[in-house]
Amino acid sequence: MKVVVDGVELDLPAGTSAIDAVFQSGGDVPYFCAHKYLSPVGACRMCLIESGSPRKNPDGTFVMEGEGDAATPKIFWFPKPMASCTMQATEGMHIRSAKTSEVVAKAQAGMMEFTLLNHPLDCPTCDKGGACELQDRAFEYGYGASRFGFDRRHADKHYPLSKYVILDQERCIHCKRCVRYFEEVPGQEVLDFIERGGHTFIDTEEGGLPTGFQGNITDICPVGALLDNVARFRGRNWEYDHTPTTCTLCPVGCSITVDARNGRLERIVAGENRDVNEAWICDAGRFGHSFASHDRLTVPLIRGADGQLHAADWDAAITAINRGLAGQNMDDLALYIGADSTLEEGLALESLAELTGTKHVDHWPRYEVNITAPAATLTDVATADLVVVIGADLGEEAPVLELRILEMLRGGLLPAEFDHGTAIADLRLIERPVRKPEKLVVIGQESGLWKHAGTRIPANGLSGLTRLATPDTDDLRAALKALEDAKAPVIILGADALNGASGSFASTVASLASRTGAKVMAIPAGPNSRGLAALNLVPRRGGLGYAQLAQAPAAFISRLDPGVKARGFTVVHDTHLTSTAQLADVVLPALTNYEKRGTTVNLEGRLLGLEQAALSSGEAADLIRTLSALAEALGVKAKVRGLRGAQTLAAAKFGLKLESVPPRGVIHPLPTATTAPTGQVHTPTLWTERMQVPRGDSARAEHINSLIGMELPMTAVQPGGDD
Amino acid sequence: MTYFADKQPLVADIFSRYPDSPQGRRSALMPLLREVQDAEGFVSELRMAEIASLCGTTATEVRSVMSFYSTYHTVPTGRYHLQVCSTLMCALKGSDELWDELVTQLDVQPGEVSPDGRFSVQKVECLGSCGTAPMMQINDDGYYENVGPAKCARILESLRHDLQPLPDNLVPVTITADGRQTLASGEVVGTSITGLTRLPEHAGGDV
Ligand code: SF4
Ligand code: SF4
Ligand code: FES
Ligand code: FES
Repeated sequence: MKVVVDGVELDLPAGTSAIDAVFQSGGDVPYFCAHKYLSPVGACRMCLIESGSPRKNPDGTFVMEGEGDAATPKIFWFPKPMASCTMQATEGMHIRSAKTSEVVAKAQAGMMEFTLLNHPLDCPTCDKGGACELQDRAFEYGYGASRFGFDRRHADKHYPLSKYVILDQERCIHCKRCVRYFEEVPGQEVLDFIERGGHTFIDTEEGGLPTGFQGNITDICPVGALLDNVARFRGRNWEYDHTPTTCTLCPVGCSITVDARNGRLERIVAGENRDVNEAWICDAGRFGHSFASHDRLTVPLIRGADGQLHAADWDAAITAINRGLAGQNMDDLALYIGADSTLEEGLALESLAELTGTKHVDHWPRYEVNITAPAATLTDVATADLVVVIGADLGEEAPVLELRILEMLRGGLLPAEFDHGTAIADLRLIERPVRKPEKLVVIGQESGLWKHAGTRIPANGLSGLTRLATPDTDDLRAALKALEDAKAPVIILGADALNGASGSFASTVASLASRTGAKVMAIPAGPNSRGLAALNLVPRRGGLGYAQLAQAPAAFISRLDPGVKARGFTVVHDTHLTSTAQLADVVLPALTNYEKRGTTVNLEGRLLGLEQAALSSGEAADLIRTLSALAEALGVKAKVRGLRGAQTLAAAKFGLKLESVPPRGVIHPLPTATTAPTGQVHTPTLWTERMQVPRGDSARAEHINSLIGMELPMTAVQPGGDD
Repeated sequence: MTYFADKQPLVADIFSRYPDSPQGRRSALMPLLREVQDAEGFVSELRMAEIASLCGTTATEVRSVMSFYSTYHTVPTGRYHLQVCSTLMCALKGSDELWDELVTQLDVQPGEVSPDGRFSVQKVECLGSCGTAPMMQINDDGYYENVGPAKCARILESLRHDLQPLPDNLVPVTITADGRQTLASGEVVGTSITGLTRLPEHAGGDV
């Protein structure tokens, strides 16, 4: 399809919207209401362009203009500028943006004047300042002056829609993005326009926004009307150090940007990764971050003769470990790490375990089973024609996976991709899309997904899968039939199905998958369990697993909080003084995953990179450095002493190039996972207790009070002077 | 107590007017609102939630739709809900004065009900009777046209005695089966497709 934009001819795929045509030509159109993953509605009227098309004579030839060979099809222009987000570019269409059309430039400036008619211009104090589309576009496309001399309308300013989201009704420009988001993405219509005309405002009648995915509206609001209450008044956009990285609270591995200011983590916003989270993250990922800058351990602690933990430096800690482990065999030291450790950290641990010869190695949480059926990606889930979810509570295990399933229910339309990125207005996305609940079967216990499913079959634990494979009720028989009939089905297995699963379970899954052609997504127990399982980090024959920690002669525990210590000398490496750390002999300060470089593997098997945000964490160290210190205390020389070393090891062992993982991640076949009995059940909980002690309402008030209580360095003003 | 619990036939009747699909169910929103509004004078939050669950939508959407129309109320109204048109035509002909007269006389403001439960007032947009401005509508019974000070006083006086004066013009205007409109007086106005008046035969010779 040939389209001419500002005089440049482009070849575009059919279905492209006019706004994407302009962007594809390298041009620019200001817009507020359009959003990549929402239906285009043409509400803001800012994306104006001039457009015209050739017209045909009754005999099918084009109406021509000009003489002889120089004749070209005559372009019939629309008599007025049009909204480009809801207009489809068609063969031969001509488009003029503000770059070449004065009419458009003037219309857009006029539109800007209207949009700013009642907008309060609190830019000096609004938290969106520096990231506000309205501010930027007003600067680029506005007149810089207004012909409206009257007072602006006033409305409620700090209107809480929930504990996490604050609405400033005055600033809202009625773009409807937030309303469409709730309708189209999580499928919860809890926001809408109330009143009409000049009095319209956004509100909910449901007594607050549903937790789960409410925070996303603070990202997409093009003005400062919807703000993240956890981050509000904590910094201006340009003051933050923005670090794009990966969320490792659950195995989805969403793309996020960590915003830090003065070494504190103040805000997390969603990043775009078309293959993983599109543009959305869950509320835990967004609002559960305050632990990273709260009550952190910043120096090592050593238990003194008085039985108390005392602050020390790393050298003293190493000496203390060395002394504590004296007389102990090196291979007595059990090594346990949290399953959100990076691949590099896991490699370092594995190499240290080899060095000391310990049998007691483990990571937690994990399951005992290795699913070998063809793995599904998140895109497979979103574009499947049938999804069967067995034994999963996605809200706790992998929230954004739930959004991808809901995307599947409304047709699995993934916006096209252009040179300028994801299509800004995909005309196939529509408001109030028809959902097809019959494409979703949920087997297990009631969860958030339950109400969206056409077929719901209550079942417990491992029985769900077995019963699907050999159905004993009509419902199950129908579900199996649907699975067999589907062309691209996906089976999702959650904690309830995977806990205590063994080899026979894996073969049932594999045979069901090969019989039905289904791909399988087994949700890993921890954010990087899938990566760590590929590294042999499980108890060797005769070794003590993490569940037997209390029997270990001595232990090193990194970022796990079982609440017990080993039989003998215990070293804890953690970000906070957890209950386990309080029992330890030596406590070493750890980095959170927001402050690390490294790689994790998400539930698809996709390698995703972590970047280091500028958080102040004192003398905290990541696992690799901590393990080299531990090795020093043990009197051996660690083979992996830094990130580079771990990456070299990964390349040598598995042919993995961890240093060049692309921003969208890459799916790489991993070595076969090693398994071993776990001896305990894993109950996924997304919001850990630590994440829930945010600056809750009272703590926040206290904090603000403490700031106000500060003495300002002012002296009494002296009257006088000659002005 | 839910409102529709004992009105299943009515609910079924309303739903039967729309397609039997999720979208169709949502379309029944307005008649259900109307029903509650007529019976109770306003739609409380409880009722909004009830209607939402009947239609398979959220209370937010119910409130969104009802707040779009000035005929639905979220707060109680009096036995006589006086709606004064305040759009330009009526404003030019003195609707402001009429409004001032009402709120002073009755001592109510929008959103309030007079202590005796009789009166509530509301400014509304053009009621489509600009030619007889200023005009006022009482409940949804009828139009009171050319409401000057004397007429206003007369109307209030009778309402105080619970005698609602006959409106000058009934709303909705009755429309007969063939699409013809009738005034309150019974006079037939306008025309309809079937009832087109035959034009007289051309009297003259050739054209
Ligand atoms: S609150 Fe923000 S996102 Fe919602 S309509 Fe207003 S401006 Fe748009
Ligand atoms: S879904 Fe998982 S990875 Fe994504 S933001 Fe939430 S916790 Fe983080
Ligand atoms: S009208 Fe808002 S982006 Fe097109
Ligand atoms: S302006 Fe009052 S009825 Fe139209």
